[in-house]
Amino acid sequence: MSAAADVVAEVEDLRVEVGGRAVVDGVSLRVRAGTVTALVGASGSGKTTTGLALLGAYPPGARVSGTVTVTDHLVGHVPQHPAAVLNPARRAGALLADIARTQVRHLPRRERVRAAETRINEALSRAQLTGSSELLRRYPHQLSGGQQQRVVLAQALLLGARVVVADEPTTGQDALTKRRIVAELVSVVRQGIGVLLLSHDLDVVRELADEVVILKDGRVVESGPVEQMTTGARHAWTRQLFGAGEGGGSVPGERADADSDTTPEVRDDADDGPGTEPAPEVKGDIDTEAAPEVKGDIGTEAAPDVEGNTVLEVRHLTARHRGGGTRRTVDVLRDASLRVRPGERVAIVGRSGSGKTTLGRCLAGLHRTYDGEVHLDGVPLPRSLRDRTPRQLAAVQYVFQDAQSSFDEHRTLLAQVARTAVRLRGATPADAAREAEALLAEVGLRDQHFHNRPGRLSGGELQRAALARALLAHPRVLVCDEITSGLDTVTRRTILAVLDRLLRDQPDLALVWITHDLDTAARADRILVLDAGDVVEQGPTVHVLTAPGHPFTAALVEASEERREAIREPRTASRA
Amino acid sequence: MLRSWLARRLLLGVAQTAAVVLLVFVLTEALPGDAAVALAGDQPDPARIAAIRTEMGLDRPAAERLADWVLGLLHGDLGTSLASGRPVAAYLADGFGPTLLLAAITVTLLVPAGVGLGVLAARREGSLADRLVSSTTLAVYAVPEFALGVLLITLFALRLGWLPPTAVGSGGDLLAQPAVLVLPVLVLLSRPVCSISRLVRAGMIDALRSPYARQAARYGLSAARVRYAHALPNALAPAAQQLARTVDWLLCGVIVVEALFVIPGLGTVLMNAVAERDVPVVQGLAVVFGLVAVVLNLGADLVARRLAPRAGVAA
Repeated sequence: MSAAADVVAEVEDLRVEVGGRAVVDGVSLRVRAGTVTALVGASGSGKTTTGLALLGAYPPGARVSGTVTVTDHLVGHVPQHPAAVLNPARRAGALLADIARTQVRHLPRRERVRAAETRINEALSRAQLTGSSELLRRYPHQLSGGQQQRVVLAQALLLGARVVVADEPTTGQDALTKRRIVAELVSVVRQGIGVLLLSHDLDVVRELADEVVILKDGRVVESGPVEQMTTGARHAWTRQLFGAGEGGGSVPGERADADSDTTPEVRDDADDGPGTEPAPEVKGDIDTEAAPEVKGDIGTEAAPDVEGNTVLEVRHLTARHRGGGTRRTVDVLRDASLRVRPGERVAIVGRSGSGKTTLGRCLAGLHRTYDGEVHLDGVPLPRSLRDRTPRQLAAVQYVFQDAQSSFDEHRTLLAQVARTAVRLRGATPADAAREAEALLAEVGLRDQHFHNRPGRLSGGELQRAALARALLAHPRVLVCDEITSGLDTVTRRTILAVLDRLLRDQPDLALVWITHDLDTAARADRILVLDAGDVVEQGPTVHVLTAPGHPFTAALVEASEERREAIREPRTASRA
Repeated sequence: MLRSWLARRLLLGVAQTAAVVLLVFVLTEALPGDAAVALAGDQPDPARIAAIRTEMGLDRPAAERLADWVLGLLHGDLGTSLASGRPVAAYLADGFGPTLLLAAITVTLLVPAGVGLGVLAARREGSLADRLVSSTTLAVYAVPEFALGVLLITLFALRLGWLPPTAVGSGGDLLAQPAVLVLPVLVLLSRPVCSISRLVRAGMIDALRSPYARQAARYGLSAARVRYAHALPNALAPAAQQLARTVDWLLCGVIVVEALFVIPGLGTVLMNAVAERDVPVVQGLAVVFGLVAVVLNLGADLVARRLAPRAGVAA
């Protein structure tokens, strides 16, 4: 990678002011062909604004000065939530087809269709999307997150973009998916494309970046080759970021953001320098606490092998999604069987698109196109929520990944949480409110929040409220779908602690923990591993994690361990 | 999933139609007087009324008459008119032609006009075109049909003499004199165009602001392509529902307009039947209106599912 490589995008002295406040102040950076420039900073540091500037997009009402130059004006964009740029009313391939159409206009009419198809297929294979012609006929919501991301990447590649802006591509992803995304970006770079990586995931930055630009409060704190950052950083903030290696995980300021319990003052303290550096201790804790060995012992002793003592049983469940056409269906889960005993914690682990959420949704009555049966106390549960009795509804409660959208934004928190008890258990509104208040306090919400609307609470607080809401139904089984992904480390730890305490208080409550994260899955008694819709392994946690019986499980465990290794010894990129 | 949903909707629709028919029967029973009184004319002689009643079978209990009528319906027999003795089906067939013609012309003009105005206004929010379209549609929407009808007749038929004021004399064959259709269609179009264009405008503004429309524009698609192929499908779902409601209204409820322009459509048939206490005709119309409403709304929901496929995911 020579430093003289072509500059494909250049930002010089960019200043973006919104409402009199500079979001980005004097930022300069370069992206060269076939290299990765990483823009690193906590949320609110101006990463995304700078990245969007390459695309010519600014926040509404922004005052912009400085210059942004991009070769050929062709910039690809892979946003953090790729679903946002996929049209919900059109099939996934719609934009690809339109881009290709503009590129084949010069050809004779007869050849256009075929030429466009060839181009699309080429872009898809460059984006490592396989089995693609069927995928393109699905609607975006029928694709997994990974598939959505690759479709969006394929759009940029088909366009012939010389620069791709990748916004937090690995945030909230499991270890294997992270590796896949890194490999994808490496292959994009090999094709001579410059990548601007916006990230606070320092593992990925270390692995991919050639140049690093560190942003703090809209200003460049330091910039230079990645080696210089990891070994001889001049600025305290950079040293703290890359500090000693064991910090690893994420930008310190980042975790303060997601939870308003941790006020901005705390963040400022953290910013002062290595003296008050909170990062390594916090991170170290998590690692040891969540290591499989620790939890494994508990797993074996807490898994009584008693027949007949089953609260929830899944028998030969095959779940389908509607495919491209009206009549075609796609199996997203095949022949899954699962038995949950009272008080047991079962983790369902798999990559995105493996069918783990669908399994959870079948349990809760949110997905009803399946064969096979779900039994509660030996009685088959109706497939649809609509057909379940209040008792049955109360027995299986679901907590969603996105707590924000699982609340009505117009009613107060307490009213919504208390409503569960009224609807599902027939409690009087007054009793329900009392009970809800007690439970909300127990999960650590302050009473000043009770009469707030959900919009005033942080993601972590809402997730705790969502737990309280589910528990107020007095469920037998609690299904938690990725409730800690997308949260920062501190918030995640609080939620896990709250959940632990609640489960201790209710020894008969069973937990179905859906996750891509082996660290949190290790806290379960048993693990069920899903790969592409198949149950590839199921057994006590300690067995699955220490002696994985299936190659996929082994790969998952290895990937997760490697990531932990990588954090311990900082390395420089070994790529093309 | 789709099939069970369709089956549920159809069953519900049949139940709704049955409920409407029952309600109509009960309400006409509750009206003072019956067909015998209406037939007896200006000098009602109680003995004559009683005779007519016996002859028509109106002295039988209401439940029995309803049961008879339902049995006939199951065989496809809508019964015969009390006033004239003609089959109810003949009344419906006569009235359906003009109504269907008016509805078809109106919808044919309504869809391009409504969607076109909505897209035009949404091209640039707050532009002159937007303000013109938005304020005009709001103003027109506020004018009730009969007022607009009277206004148009006064202006174009009586003052200017450009168009015939009513369809009197066309003898039911409206297509032979297309000029009689202009004013009624204009009146029928006025409010639906406004509501649909406003819905399309709001949907388009949202869709054009969305990340997916921006991505499409950024990736070199023409503005027209982004507007029509990427933004518009997302803006159409609410408009499709509104369109179904409009078609339903056009087929079942344009009594005012038909009366104003003297068009011999279903609305006129209904008015006459109610005036004559011609219960079988009223019930026949209720069945037709009920079925039309059920089928149209089902169609609209199907279209909306296609336009917003994500909404169908939740069980």
